Amino acid sequence: MSGRDIGISLLFVVLAVVAQTAVFGDGRINPFGVSPSVVLVVVLAFARHLDPEPAILLGFTGGMLLDLLGGSPLGLWAISYTVVVYIALRFKERAEDGPATLAVGVVGLTLVANALFLIVGTLFGERFFTSTAFIKNMIVPAFYNLPVALVVFPLATRLIGSRRNYIWSA
Amino acid sequence: MQSFRRFDRPTTLAIVLIVVAFMLATFDVRSAGAGVGTTMREGAQTLFSPLQDVASAVTRPVVGFIDALSDIASLRDENDALRSENEDLKRQIDEFDSVQSELEQLMEINDLEAPQDLPTVTARIASAGSSSFDHVRYINKGADDGISMGDAVIDEQGLIGRIDLVLDDRARVRLILDPNVEVAVLDQSTSQAGMVRGDNENDLVLRMFSAEEPAREGSVVVTAGSRFPAGIRVGTITRTAADDAGFGLDTRVKPAVSFSRLDFVKVIVGYSPLDAPSIEREVNGEEPAGPNPDGANDEGVEPSSDADASVPGEEESG
Repeated sequence: MSGRDIGISLLFVVLAVVAQTAVFGDGRINPFGVSPSVVLVVVLAFARHLDPEPAILLGFTGGMLLDLLGGSPLGLWAISYTVVVYIALRFKERAEDGPATLAVGVVGLTLVANALFLIVGTLFGERFFTSTAFIKNMIVPAFYNLPVALVVFPLATRLIGSRRNYIWSA
Repeated sequence: MQSFRRFDRPTTLAIVLIVVAFMLATFDVRSAGAGVGTTMREGAQTLFSPLQDVASAVTRPVVGFIDALSDIASLRDENDALRSENEDLKRQIDEFDSVQSELEQLMEINDLEAPQDLPTVTARIASAGSSSFDHVRYINKGADDGISMGDAVIDEQGLIGRIDLVLDDRARVRLILDPNVEVAVLDQSTSQAGMVRGDNENDLVLRMFSAEEPAREGSVVVTAGSRFPAGIRVGTITRTAADDAGFGLDTRVKPAVSFSRLDFVKVIVGYSPLDAPSIEREVNGEEPAGPNPDGANDEGVEPSSDADASVPGEEESG
């Protein structure tokens, strides 16, 4: 892993944040009122090729950018994405790196991220549970993320994955 | 020494970042939209707004096309509904003319000035919220254009929301779909007052605390003139409900605005909630008694000394 890999990862996270807020956000492309979590997919796709510390920082940065450009209190997405990247890194060493694993991982980790956001947001006074809409907003993006991951994961591997030779040193 | 090595470096880093994020969230909530949070948001908007503008401009045709595709199924129903609504509107225009005439006469009698056209600023939606949980939009105008906290945002269909974050050249609109936004409304058909609140769904919850008459399906609800200027269309009641037990009534309201198709909006600037007539007593089922003499707002909440609470009540309980 090099500074170039980290730079490319950050660049793609920034581009994903722009896409998320300008193209996929509420009121833009969001079939059934829900949009994919593009930033999360990009964070996961690039984080798996980085060392643990930069990967966790990448998750935190992606989440913080979403917080800064969104409507919820600062830090909520940052917490979710940091935790999710941490979980992803912990599981990565134990799981095979195949398409099925990645698909299950993307869906599962999106669910975890959204659930964490809902729980932490509620602690900070957000009213997410006033109706059952939170279920849709939590679950549907997880499946929308699959086609996004189909594009982003191979791209990340192509850009920074070829030189990867990382083993989690827990 | 062993206890100091319990966590590896990644774990330690993750814990530190989570603690930092918790602290930021706490500061942000406590400062209620001011302080370091606003500064950070302003910096992020400055960096990202050019990129967002380019992305919006490039993808707008594609977004419109996909939006239209996803809406084809609902167009037939919408067409029928619009036809029916058109007939209703024609009838309402006739009624309105006669009411307008009566109103002008009453104003002359009471020596009241006709309400001035409030100044507005036209803005364009620059970006949306960052997730499906957000009910916000960013517009491409801000404090430099005279926009301030609490300003009402409308389009030709009705009320969209209110400004809850103002930067120099950007502002954030919190939609009325957000559960933290409450709007004092009047049922036009019965003149009964109530509160409308977002529900994270595409429709709103209407609560009337003292309703002598039922809230009927199809009745239009408008702003009651508290935080928002009076008479802005909010939506249409979708389910008839009555106050059978004496505890008020709850029903649903379909917003007048189609939030998925927002592009250009108008921000009403220069309106002060303190100028609005009180509806507090109306909400409580009593006779209205004109402007609040004690400075309390229309929902009976005392103004706080916080700068952002110059337009208190009616929302942002978080």
